Order: sequence, then structure tokens, then C-alpha cells
Amino acid sequence: MELAMAMMLGALAILTLGSIFSFKYRQFGFYAAIVALVIGLAACPGRSLYYGVFIFAIGIINLVSLNAIKSEIKGVDYGLVGLMALATMYIINTSDLAMVLAALVLVSVPTYILVMIREGGANVEVGIKYITFMVFATVLFLIGAIILAYTKSLPDAGLLYVLGYVMLVLGLSLEVGVAPLHEWVPDVFTSADPIPISIIASLAKIVPFIAALWILIYTANSLTASITIFTAVLAAISMFTGNIGALTSKEHARVLAYSTVANMGYVLTCIVVVPVVVVIEQGLVVIKPEFIYLALAGGLLLLFANAAGKIGFFNAIKGEGAYSPLMYMLAFSFIGVPPLMGFWGKLFILLSLVEVGYIWLVALLVINSAISIPYYVRLASELGIGWKANLTNFICLAVVVITLITVVPPDWFLRGMEVLAQTISIVI
Amino acid sequence: MNYEWIIFLLLFLAPVVSSIPIALTYKSKEWTEKLPYLSVFGIFVSVLMSLYIFFSFPENLPACRFSYSWIPGTGIDIVLITDYLSRYMGVITAVIAFFIAVYGLDYMRGDYRPSWYWFFFNLFTASMLLVVYSDNLFLLFVGWEGLGAASWGLIGHWFRDDDEIAYVGVPKRKVGPLELSWPPSFGGWRAISTIRFGDVPMFFAIAAIWVFAGNLNISEIEWGTLFVTIGYAGTIILLLCFLIGLFTKSAQVPFSEWLMTAMTGPTTVSALLHSATMVAAGAFVFIKLTWYIEPWELAHIPVPGLEHVYIFVLFVGLISGLYGALSGSGMLERKVLLAASTMSSIGLMFAAAAASFWVGHFALLVAFWYMAVHAFAKASLFLVSGHLIHATHSRFLCGGLEFGKRMKTPFIVTIIATTFLVGIPPLTAYWVKSGMDEVMEHLIHPLGLIPLILLILTSLVYAGIMAKFLSLNFIKGEKPHHEHVEGGGLMKLGYLMMVSVLIYILFYLVLFRKEEIPHEFISAGGLLTSFGVGIAILACYCIALYKPRISALSKLGTFFNDRMYLPFVNDYILPKTGFFVSHLVQDYGNRGIDGFFNTKVMPGLFERISKGIRTIQTGYLTNYVKIVLGLVMIFLVIASIGGMWI
Repeated sequence: MELAMAMMLGALAILTLGSIFSFKYRQFGFYAAIVALVIGLAACPGRSLYYGVFIFAIGIINLVSLNAIKSEIKGVDYGLVGLMALATMYIINTSDLAMVLAALVLVSVPTYILVMIREGGANVEVGIKYITFMVFATVLFLIGAIILAYTKSLPDAGLLYVLGYVMLVLGLSLEVGVAPLHEWVPDVFTSADPIPISIIASLAKIVPFIAALWILIYTANSLTASITIFTAVLAAISMFTGNIGALTSKEHARVLAYSTVANMGYVLTCIVVVPVVVVIEQGLVVIKPEFIYLALAGGLLLLFANAAGKIGFFNAIKGEGAYSPLMYMLAFSFIGVPPLMGFWGKLFILLSLVEVGYIWLVALLVINSAISIPYYVRLASELGIGWKANLTNFICLAVVVITLITVVPPDWFLRGMEVLAQTISIVI
Repeated sequence: MNYEWIIFLLLFLAPVVSSIPIALTYKSKEWTEKLPYLSVFGIFVSVLMSLYIFFSFPENLPACRFSYSWIPGTGIDIVLITDYLSRYMGVITAVIAFFIAVYGLDYMRGDYRPSWYWFFFNLFTASMLLVVYSDNLFLLFVGWEGLGAASWGLIGHWFRDDDEIAYVGVPKRKVGPLELSWPPSFGGWRAISTIRFGDVPMFFAIAAIWVFAGNLNISEIEWGTLFVTIGYAGTIILLLCFLIGLFTKSAQVPFSEWLMTAMTGPTTVSALLHSATMVAAGAFVFIKLTWYIEPWELAHIPVPGLEHVYIFVLFVGLISGLYGALSGSGMLERKVLLAASTMSSIGLMFAAAAASFWVGHFALLVAFWYMAVHAFAKASLFLVSGHLIHATHSRFLCGGLEFGKRMKTPFIVTIIATTFLVGIPPLTAYWVKSGMDEVMEHLIHPLGLIPLILLILTSLVYAGIMAKFLSLNFIKGEKPHHEHVEGGGLMKLGYLMMVSVLIYILFYLVLFRKEEIPHEFISAGGLLTSFGVGIAILACYCIALYKPRISALSKLGTFFNDRMYLPFVNDYILPKTGFFVSHLVQDYGNRGIDGFFNTKVMPGLFERISKGIRTIQTGYLTNYVKIVLGLVMIFLVIASIGGMWI
């Protein structure tokens, strides 16, 4: 057994023990989760170290934010978030389909419990709504993945490949809330407690995308270029639905719900890019890694920016406001103002789209970024208050620091993704 | 050498970082009185860094190019260059900014918003340094925009418009429908609006270079190949778009008006604006670009558009030169007269640089060294002018010999700065101007006598207006209504240091023939024609000194003072045209435009989509399941049909 895997298993064991002991001493769960994340980060290889650090930071902030809620399962909830963060750290380093799908499930299932957390009871109604769609999404995703994996062994995949592709993308869309399969998002985001939603809207969004990306890259064939138009249309619908929905909503949590729909549309465009670079050379399928790293870097940075922003805004909702400049910084990152992280995410995605010739999608992404300006600024202005030394402001400050990391142009991140992309092509 | 990035970081960031404390403590009078020293120290750090670069960094390619990663995935990097032009210009910019900053400690004492002033002053300096050392056009453009933003902040510094001394023009003086008087707030707005007008096409030109050349590094771009690729029309359009940015920034005809009304800003700003930043930036970028385009080397490649562009620049420069000098000859406001003379000098720089197309590398050196000499001389004159405004509480030329005796230091500095600038033999500018005469003589063959005639005319009138400035301020001017000749120690120190550089350049570089200065200057100065022109300049200078105002020509003077009514283009014709177009749009096109964007089509579309999005959200799980299942089924059916077809 390789050392990294052993460390991951050790981290899982610590998490489990922490959760068990937390029934007696609640803080055990918290400290065990932190130790597990430190071990998980140490297990990250050099090529994905920056990615690991971001996930570590987001995971820690999510853990700390749980202290803002008096949950009935306090202690175990730390373990669940720790488990999600570990799976998220792990997925980027594996090329094993079974492990990719396992990571997806490990991130998805804890959210079924987290979504029901509220002070003084359990939010069962929200839980049912959420779990119904998540189960459906997971089933679609898994079947799609298995069909796609099966087509690798077929000389002429044809219809089966297209069906597998569509099912996988629909599963992903349902899981993360891409329109027009987003119906659960506004209801769940407004009915559930803001703290668990901040976790679902941040950490839980990363793994499904990476899983889908990995599977699509590994199973890509000559049909992929033709079918990407489906994902592109879906992404465009999601951007417009999310932004127009957010623009015409008043409730803060609902605005953030639609903003998630829009952001997932942006990130979905990475799926459009990656398979297009598959070409046939002398009868062999060759993955051209030139643009994968751009799309991967863009998608991940946008997911990190989305995570940071969602954590900040949902915590501000919970804490009835946060320090105004911090709110504006998060809003600017969402809009895509340089040099904040949201800008770089969008820029890399746009560049990769330009490279593969999806110019109309580039135009739509830019238009949608412009449409989003009013509601993000409105959100910042309504949630922004004066400075107070409390947990909410501390969390918001931490996530703003994350979005500010890209003040140093993220060439370092891009290079890491380039190395990662090259290893993908080697695996194939 | 791998520490150079620290030097660059200190060079660019020290002025900005050192001005942040005063910007943040804008509410505290105590701190805003102390912190200007920190801001000046920041500029001093830049001086040290620029000197370090000058003495230690390589001068020749490729060693003098330093590249750092910037915008990943685009190929756009932070590329800095320490070639001949940049290393000299960097020192000139930093040193002049430092001297002016020292002067400003005295000049701006008691001002009502020092935080605003020092922050933008330092940003101005840092932006110009970025322009100077950038090899990458996009990075250069960042500095360029920094200059624009800082100039707006500084020209409109006295935004309350509550002191007539900051105005340009005579209040309530009307010519036709137009009042020829401009407050500071208007000056700031006019500067930024004119510059933005040029920046937009310049930005598109840079984007086009990126697309067609695949590289934005000035020293790396294959200019000849680029011009051949984009062809005759492409070359002309590309370069003209780029040049509009340079012409607006350098206030060349017909974009010169903003420079005159920019005199509403503090004098320190005017000094910096006219010597080493802003207006100089346009000419400097043209010299730098031409340095690497090497148009004289492209003669063998059929790029016909290039010659037309250089002819255009040559005549825009020469016409601007003469226009500025003539306008200055009728002016009676201290700073505006100097502003007109700057426009004239910058015009000559453009013209000399453009002549390189036929003359070669030497013409660029002439343009560059004229820029250097002009920078120190003009900054000295502006600083003196500011001191005089303080001393007389008047922005108009005034002060007789008695006043001159009491203001000995500014008097002497003015004598040195004007005589060293106009081209009187054997003083500093004479050698450079002799080079310019020689360059224009070379153009007789391809372009005729006109360039040389325009240059000589401009030089003669220019000598006259400089002498007029000296005479009406210290010798033959009216007695000032108010005299406050005491104090101003730091102000004197500022312009004394500034003017001393002119003497340094003369003795140590020109007369002692330091190898960095081309020996052609000396040989050009020795030519009989150059000496003849120099003597004619001296004669004009002396005549104007003796007779600074000629009452018989007062009407012509007023015409020149009114900048030959060019303000009508900016303040009357353009606004009227704009209003006419807006009325047309209002009366005929607005219904359609407004209906589409504001009242009917787009809002209706948004409303309908928004209603649709909200209608789905009933809150009932069964409805959601039906919708999702239905959509999934539809997608799968479409995929099945599409899959078979594919």
C-alpha cells in the first residue's frame, strides 16, 4: 500500500474515532477533523499541493463556521465535513474510476445529514426534498459513468456513448444545481440553516465537477467533440436562469441560490472544453493537454472563489451582517474584478473556450458576468455593516484572504494544473 | 544577477506605498503635516533605484530585458527593459520628481487636502516610471492609464474652484458665445476626457498588435513582418490608432487644449506634467517604439504605409511646434505661456523622432536629448513660476527690475533655464538643436525645405517667448500689487537643484564629450548654418528681452493668446455637435433604442424569463420531481435520436 493511501486511511480512522468520542466530548470531533485534514494535506503530492491547500483552508473555515450553530449532532457534523474535505483532497490524485465514484459518494452522502441540521431539531422537510434529488442525481451520474467506462471497451460506442455522456452530465447538473434541473436549489437554500448550506454550496460542489471531468477525459473518443454542444447549451441556460433569477429575487439566501445556479453554469463550460481537445492521430485517441490545464485551473479557481463567497455571504446571513468592505470584496470576486480569484477563474475559462472555438459561449459568459453586477453589489450593500470582533467577521476575513491570494498572479496554480494535465494524458 | 526584481519592486512601489499612510490619515491635520516627508522619501528611494539601474544593469539586449510571469495563459508578462533610453529616462523622471517633491513640501504647506495631493503625485511618478521601463505594451498601458488617472486627480486638485488664482484665462472675458476662463474642476475633467479619447484607439492598436504579432514586447516584435502582414491600410490604421493615444497625451494639435487648462492644478503638478511625465510620455513612447521599429532599416521591405505615417507625425510635430510657440507669444499668464512652450517643444521632439525614417538612429538621439534638456529647464521655469505666484499672488506676468533684485535666486535660475533651453550657442540646448537643424537639413532631399523652415521659425519664436517670460517677470513687467519675497527655502532649493543639472549636462556630457552622448552633436554645433541659427535665436532672445510687448501687434497677440480660437473646437463646436446628435437621437432614434433597451423588449424579456423562473418554484416536491423527470426523459430521448444520427 502506498504511503499516501495509508495516510488517507489513517486520517479516516482519526475522523471516525473523533466522531465517536464526540458523543462524550464534543470538541473531540473538531480537533480530530483538523488533525485528519492536516494528514490529508500531507498526503497530497507536489503537483496538487496548491489544490490541497485551498481545500484544507475551505475545510477548516467550514469546520469553524459550524461553531455558529448549536446542532444536535455537534461533534459528528465536524466528522462529516472532515470526511467531505478528505474526499475532495483525494479525488484529484486518483485515476481509478471506482475511487473517483467512491469520492463522489463520500462527499454527497454527508450533505444529506448536514442539510437537515438546525438549532433545536432537524429540518426534515428540507432533507426529504434535498435527498430525493441527490439520490436521483447520484444514480444518473453513476449509471452514466459506468456506461461511459463500458464504451471504452467497445470498438464502435455510438449511441451508448452519447447516452452515457448525457446521463453523466444530467447527473452532475442535478447534483450541483445546473438549470433547468435546479428546482431544488432555491427552496433548499432558503429553508435550510445558512451554515450547513454554506458547506453544501462550497465544499460539496468541487468533487462532482472533478469526477465528471476525470470520467469524460478518460472515456473521450471521436464523438465527444460533437456532443459537447449539449453541455454548452446547458451551461448557457444555467447562466441566464441563475443570473436573471438572482437579479429579480429579494431574499438574500434566494439570491445566493440563483447565484449558485449561474456559477455552476460557468463551471460547466469547463466540461465543454476538455473533451474537445481529444483528437485522433493515426487511429489512436490522443488527449491534447494544451487547454485542459487552462479549463481545469479556471474551473477550480472559480469553484474556490464560489466556495469562499458562499461561505462569507451565508455566514453573514447567519450573523445578521458582516463588515462591509469584506462583503464588497466577496461581491467583486464573484463579479470577476481583477485581481481577485473570481476574475482569474473566469479568465482561464474564457481563454480555454477561445482556444477551442466556443466564441458564442465566451460572449454569453461575459454578458452574464455583467448581468450579475447589480445583485452582488446589492447583496454586499445590504449585508454590509460596521466592524465587530465576532465569529462571522473572522470567517469573512478568512475567505476574503483566500480570494486575495491571486493578487500574486496564479501562474503557480496554472503550472501545477499543467503538470496534472500531463499526468492525465500519460495515464490514458 | 537575480535580485533585480527587488530593485524594480522598490522603484515602482516605494512612491505608492510611501504615500498610502498620508492617504489613510486624511482626517488628521497633525499627520498630514508630517507624512509628506515620507512620501518624498518614497520618491527618493526611486531615485536611488533608478541610479542603481543606470550604473549596474546591462544596457544591451537580450541581457537588459527582464521578464516575470504576469497574466498566465495569455503570454502577457511583466517585461521590463533597461536599454539606453529607459535607463536615462528613468533617472531623469525620478530625479525631477524628487526635486519637485522637495519643492512641494514648501509649496503645498497649508493646502486643504494634502493627502489627495501626495497620493496622486506619487502615483503619477510611479506610473511614469512604469511607462519608462516597460517593454511590454500592455504593462506600459497600465502605467499610461495610471498617468491619466493621476493627472485627473492632480489637475482638479483645487476642485472647489474657490480661488481665482487657480483659474486659467481672464474671468468673465467672453469671445463670441464662449467665456474664455476655466476653473480647476473643469481642467481636470477636460484632461481626462481628452486623454480617454486617445486611449481607446491606442488600446485597440495594442490588442491588434497582440493578435497579429503574437507578442507585446516592443523589443521582440518583428515589426517589419507585422507591417507586411497587415498591409498598407492595416499599417496606417494600426499606427494612427496608436498615435492618437500619444498625440492626446502629448497635447499635439488639435488635442492641445487640455494642456492649457491643466494649468489650473498646483504648479508642482504643472512642472512634473510638462517635464518628465504625461506630455513627455507620448513623445518618449514614440521614440522608444521607433527605436525598435527601426524604420530606416525597413526601407528595403515594401511597407509604403510606414513612410506616410512618419510624414504625418513629422508635420503634426512641426505644426504643433509652431502653433505652441506662436500661442505662447501672445500669452500673459505665467504658467499658460510655459504650457504653450512645452507643447511646442514636444512637437519638435515628435518631428525629430519622425525624421529618423530618413535620417536614421541619430534623429532619435536628437529627439531624446532635447527631451532631457527640456525636462530640466522647463521644470525649473515652472517651479520659479510657482514661487512667483506665491510671491506676487498673481498668475499673470508681473515684476520689474526692483522685484527681480529682491528675488535674485529665481531671477538667476530663470536666466539660466531660458538661455540654456532656447539654443543659444554654446549653451546646452544649442548642441542638441544643432543636431535637430542637421536632421531637418537631411529632409530637404525627400521632403523639401518646409520642415527646416518650420523648425527655424519655431526656434526663433520660442526664443522670443522665453525671453518675454524672463523680461516680464523680472525686468520690464508691471510692479506686482502684492509682494511676499521672504521664505520659500525649500522651493529655492528645488529649482536650484533642477537648473544645476542643465549645467552638469553641458559641462560633463557635451563639452567633455562623454561617450554616451553622440559626438555628432558637437560636429553639428560646429557647422556654420547651426551657428547662424544659434545667433539668430540669440538676436530674437535679446530683442524680446528688450521689447517683451509690442503694442502695435496687440490684436495679433490677443488672437495668439486665445490659442487661435482652438478652444472653440473643444468648448463650442464639439459640444454643439454632440448636442445636435443627441437631439437627433432623442427626436428620431430614441423611441426605438429606449423601447428596445429600457422600456419594452429587454425589460419584457427579463420579466417573462424571471416570471417563468419563479413560477416553477411552487415549493411542492411532487411538482419538482415531475419537472425534473420530464426534462431528463426529454433529454434522453433527444440524446437517443441524436446519438443514432451521429
